[in-house]
Amino acid sequence: MKTEHELVEILDFIAEYATYLLGSGVHTSRVIRNSQRIGVALGVDVQLSTFQKSTIMTVRDPDSGESMTRVVGIPPLPISFERNSDLSALSWDAFDDHLPLDEIRRRYVELISKPRIDPIFVLLCVGLANASFCRLFGGDWTAMCIVFTSTLVGFAVKQRMQAHGVNHFLIFIVASFMASMCASVALRFDCTSEVAMATSVLFLVPGVPLINGVIDIMEGHILIGFSRLINALLLIVCIAVGLSATLLMVKDSLL
Amino acid sequence: MEVFWNTIADYNAATWPFQIAFVVIAAVLTLLLYFRPSRGVRIAMKVFMAVLNFWIAAVYYMIYCEPREYHDMLALFWVVMGCIWIYDLAVKHASLARTGHHTWLALLLFLMPLLYPLFSLAMGRTFPMMTSPVMPCSVVVFTIGLMVAFSERVNMILAMMLCHWAFIGLSKVYFFGIPEDYLMACSVVPALYFFLREYIASVGNHGVSKPSPRVLRALLLVLCLIVALIFIYTLCRQLELFIDM
Repeated sequence: MKTEHELVEILDFIAEYATYLLGSGVHTSRVIRNSQRIGVALGVDVQLSTFQKSTIMTVRDPDSGESMTRVVGIPPLPISFERNSDLSALSWDAFDDHLPLDEIRRRYVELISKPRIDPIFVLLCVGLANASFCRLFGGDWTAMCIVFTSTLVGFAVKQRMQAHGVNHFLIFIVASFMASMCASVALRFDCTSEVAMATSVLFLVPGVPLINGVIDIMEGHILIGFSRLINALLLIVCIAVGLSATLLMVKDSLL
Repeated sequence: MEVFWNTIADYNAATWPFQIAFVVIAAVLTLLLYFRPSRGVRIAMKVFMAVLNFWIAAVYYMIYCEPREYHDMLALFWVVMGCIWIYDLAVKHASLARTGHHTWLALLLFLMPLLYPLFSLAMGRTFPMMTSPVMPCSVVVFTIGLMVAFSERVNMILAMMLCHWAFIGLSKVYFFGIPEDYLMACSVVPALYFFLREYIASVGNHGVSKPSPRVLRALLLVLCLIVALIFIYTLCRQLELFIDM
């Protein structure tokens, strides 16, 4: 049987763990499974219900029947598949080795304190990835080079604005405008300029929220699934606004 | 290509007194930044750079390059760069403080705008149908020099925009036959390496970034070497074209 203090500690930890996963781009059913797995390891029953900005979590001690509920905000965190995988593995370690709460917490802090990928490395990789997209869509070498440098500009804008805490819809509009404006120089050259312009903004496409939204809906978490899809849709509209601004300035039309 | 050189000729013929004034002001401000750095000089240089960028946008592209296709789009690019200088001035970004790094590279980059017309003359061109010190590519090289010499931590957006412009310059060598732009394209390779290397050092989470700063520097070096090899290949192709002509 758990004391009230122990129950509070478990609830606090699982709430922090679950919201960290939700903020880092994990789909809902995986968060629930991981949280419940840790709950089983610690001898409590965990139920949670998630929304776009917050989570309602209940922890119940099956022996005493005592339960506690808390509403916790979901922090906006950068998406990291490596961290998500590490934290999932932590829930299995807790389950398989029956780790005590202190040990789980110690490992959790260790995992979330690991250094993130250097922003310059990300910048260069995103540039190369977008140039590859350009090639996949039929772009020639000139277009690829232009897309590479345009993406560097657009992504640098995104990184700096994110660092200053600017509204993320505004960030997407400005980054999309900057990347497509830089890519529009391709129009001056004898190359696949339309492919260059179209693919220059692909680095902004919110793939993770789109995939998570679909998975959530398919697994019955309709509300958060739709929330994620609407959020992703708004970001796509922002990309379209930035790209349209460039097209209207450069070609006087959207086509 | 004829339109291209005609617009340059019109611009040079009409604006050469202004260009001389710009060059003199740039030289004075650069010397002051080297030998008498002060807050006032830094502000003056930022204002000068903003004006220079707006000049390229308004006078060069919107007036004299009006016959060229997509001149307004290029003007927009320079307006954005001018706005970044204004923003830099407004937020009091700690740039333009002398670093003491890469002195020789910076000196070479500062002299490059003056080498542009000499290179044109060597290519057999005559005034006004030649490159001059106050044209987009010369200004890009000067700005890169300024950032190499006087920015402890570069404005990454501006640096990326300058690199973008410089790499486009390489395409212009092929498409518009301006080998002068090799000067700009080649100067950006070491500058890009130094910008990113120093940026890594400044934001590298005190040696705990991933990959490690050492690996990152090595990757950066490989990237710059690949870019340099592409430039050399392009130069060789260009030489072949000249020999064929």
